[in-house]
Formats: sequence, structure tokens, C-alpha cells
Amino acid sequence: MDDLDTLYEAVRRGERRAAARLISQIEAGERAVAPLVRRLYQAGGATPVIGITGPPGAGKSTLADRLVGLWRQQGHSVAVLAVDPSSPLTGGALLGDRVRMGRHNADRGVFIRSMASRGCLGGLAGAAGDALIVLDAMGFGRILVETVGTGQNEIDILHHAGSVVIVQTPAGGDDVQAMKAGMLEIGDVFVVNKADLPGADRAVAQLRDSVAFRHHMAGPELWVPSVLKTQASDGSGVVALDAALSAHIAHFKDFPQAWARRQRLRAEGILVERLREILRERYRLGAAKPQRFACALDDVVARRADPYSAALALLGEGGLA
Amino acid sequence: MSEGAKIRCLLAMLGTDVHSKGIRTLAQILRDEGVEVIYLGEHNTAEGVVNAIITEDADVVGLSYSTATYLHYTGELMRKMRAENISEVPVMLGGLIHPEDEPELRALGVRGIFGPGATTRQILVFLAEATGKALPGLGGQ
Ligand SMILES: Nc1nc2c(ncn2[C@@H]2O[C@H](COP(=O)(O)OP(=O)(O)OP(=O)(O)O)[C@@H](O)[C@H]2O)c(=O)[nH]1
Ligand SMILES: [Mg+2]
Repeated sequence: MDDLDTLYEAVRRGERRAAARLISQIEAGERAVAPLVRRLYQAGGATPVIGITGPPGAGKSTLADRLVGLWRQQGHSVAVLAVDPSSPLTGGALLGDRVRMGRHNADRGVFIRSMASRGCLGGLAGAAGDALIVLDAMGFGRILVETVGTGQNEIDILHHAGSVVIVQTPAGGDDVQAMKAGMLEIGDVFVVNKADLPGADRAVAQLRDSVAFRHHMAGPELWVPSVLKTQASDGSGVVALDAALSAHIAHFKDFPQAWARRQRLRAEGILVERLREILRERYRLGAAKPQRFACALDDVVARRADPYSAALALLGEGGLA
Repeated sequence: MSEGAKIRCLLAMLGTDVHSKGIRTLAQILRDEGVEVIYLGEHNTAEGVVNAIITEDADVVGLSYSTATYLHYTGELMRKMRAENISEVPVMLGGLIHPEDEPELRALGVRGIFGPGATTRQILVFLAEATGKALPGLGGQ
């Protein structure tokens, strides 16, 4: 208990080693840290969390580097959580986002953490959510999360970020198509990066059309996403991107009810995600299962119960249904 | 959890050395062996690497050199690691390391030295021993 208090205070003071170790313990699934994570969560919620997602190679890390530079100039301390996919075959990962952010390595006002998605296919489920709780409790001025958009899991980022930046490139005509499927709903700011490549203006115009179409009946409390062009490689457009993010944060200050709704939606997403994860882990093939699971299995094998009813009954006994 | 104990290995080049082919190859090999590689690329300062070791909570650090500057840069890094109380994090060196410099590097605190003739298996055995975490590719460790 004493240890817990000490660690809690250390993280709250922003002590980097304590926080970094705690994140590793979270990644390793150490149950013992759960009470600490709970306390940190209770203390958190004050730091703006900005999510950046988009297809591989779109320039997310380069943009992140530019934003971090700008925020440092503004006097904010910054945490970056950069999530990259694990290799599904070996479980290893090559976490290379830091290469683009190298100029911040020696800056103690910037805390960069790379994370492998492990089971979560580029999504933010699992340890990343709890790592964000730790970073949030450390008292940074800004938190930035980078995840690869694989077309499926971008929705996750919405649950963890107050502002979602979706990065596209002019070359991604197909991406704009794919985005219509789901990303259009979750972006607060859309960025066409690599503005130096041909087709950037066309991509911006397309995106503006799509956004306008979705929001043509928006009331004043609804945020209408910005669409911007950037060239992360030389930094142009990044000041405008930061301004759009500030406007997004300010918008929700003006409309606290809209903010509350959004917060509730976020929390719901995270809670459901957690529920799903716990069940998947608890009942995965090969996991040690309770006696009542074996009984339910017997019933299904003997056709005394159908699988759906047996599953419902199991959930009921666990207090989950 | 089955994935509980992944090795987190930070790979970097210090100073002006630009021959990153070796370390990029190693990064891929290690990923394929189940290691989580935090890749910092070239042109790092000792201070930057020390900060990254801390925030990434790296289990082990690998540096690669293709020029004779390694004694200087490694010495600086080891000093800064000591100053930050992280000298228990094992450091390994790879690249064009001259055998006659090994004693001095060891005296600086370098735990693993892998010159041009080193095999992947030697590096993996070192990683498993230095971190106390298992690697699937090494069999029942
Ligand atoms: N031409 C051009 N290239 C850029 C621009 N921004 C980034 N790049 C380049 O695009 C490549 C990928 O950039 P990253 O920032 O690593 O992209 P990412 O989206 O983080 O990539 P992943 O994390 O691997 O998905 C790098 O070679 C960058 O130098 C830009 O505005 N114009
Ligand atoms: Mg990246």
C-alpha cells in the first residue's frame, strides 16, 4: 500500500522512470498495478489528447514531430504514444516512429513512448488505453497518440482522443474512397499531407465536399471538421493544423453539453472495448477456465444446451449479463 | 498473459556515423525473432539515447558503429547512463569493432560486443541472458 502511494505520487509528479516502468507493467498484464491505474484514472482528464491516424507512410510521425516542436515553442510539455503493429507471426515489432522525432530525444519536456499493438491489429485496445491513463496523470500540456489506420480499427482512437486528426496523402485516391466507409465520421480535422505531391488540391476539394455533405444541416453545437493541406517534411501548414486543433478544443469549451456527450461516448467505447478484451482473454483457447465452463461445455457437447444459451448462462454467472 | 515478457531492445547510432544498413538489418532480424525493437536511427546524441532508454523502459540497448569513434561515443553514453542511474541497462555494440579495443569497451561497462563475424544466434543468446526474458527462437530457454 505504501509502495502504491509512493508510485502514485511519483507518476503525478511526472517522474519519467516511474511512469515508464508502470507502462511496461501494464503491457505485461501485471494485475498488481490495477489499483494504481484506477487512482491515476480518477485524477486524470485534464490534458488534451490528440490522436493522429491514417494509412502507413502518410506522414503521421513527421507531422507529430512538427506539432511537438510547435507545442514546445508554446511552452507545453508533451507526451507522445506511438503505436505500431506487432508482427502477427513472431510477436516482434519494429517501432520506428521515433526516427522522425529524433530532434526531441534530448528534450526532457517531451516524453515519447513506442508501443507494439501486440494482439490488437494496429488498434488502440489493450495496454495503450491504460498507458494513456498514466500519461494523462503525469500532467503534460498535450498528449499525442499515433496509430496506423488499417481501415478497421481507427474507431478505437476516437475513444481515447479528444481530437482526432486523419491524415491522407494526395496519392491515396483509394484511401479517400476507403475513408468514406468509416473514417469520415470520426475525424475532427482532416489533413492532406505531402502537399508537394500532385493532386493535393484535388484531394482537399474532395474531402471538403464529403465533409460539407455530412454536415450541411449541422447546428452550432456540432463541430464541422476542418480540412487542411500540410507538408510535414518542411512544416508548412502545421501552424494551421495546430490552430484547427485549438479551435476544436475551444469549440467544446463553448458547448459543454456537446463535450459531455462526446466524453460519454468515448467512455462507452472504452468500456465496451475492455469488456470484449477481458472475455476474449478469459476464454481464449488454452486458457485455464473455471469449473462451470467445463460444465457448460459438457452440456453443449451432449446437446443439453445450445451454445448461445450456454454462453449467456456463463455470462450471467459472472455477473455480466 | 502469454505475451507478458517481450524484450524491448533500443537500437541507435551515435554521432555522425551514417552507415545504418547493419543496424537496420539487425532491427528486422530481431523483430522476426519476437523482439520489440525501438529504432532511433542515426545521428543521436548520448543525452537523447539516455532519455529514450528511460521513457521507453528499454531492457537492452544496441549501438552500431562503422567508424573508429566508438570508444569516445560509447564512453560518453556510459557516463550519462551512470549519471541517470540507468547503468544497469545492458549495452551491446555491433559493427566494425576492433578486437584490440574490446578490453577497454568492457571496462567502460559494455556487456556485449558483436563484430563483423558475429552470428544472429550469438546476439539472441546475449539478449536472452542479459534481459532474463525468453526468446522463442532459442527454444526452451
Ligand atoms: N514528399 C513528402 N514526403 C513526406 C512528407 N511528410 C512526410 N514525408 C515522408 O513520408 C515518409 C513517411 O513518413 P512518416 O512520418 O514516417 O509516416 P507515418 O505515417 O508515420 O508512417 P508509419 O508510422 O510507418 O505508418 C517519410 O519518408 C517522410 O519523410 C511531405 O509533406 N512530403
Ligand atoms: Mg509513423
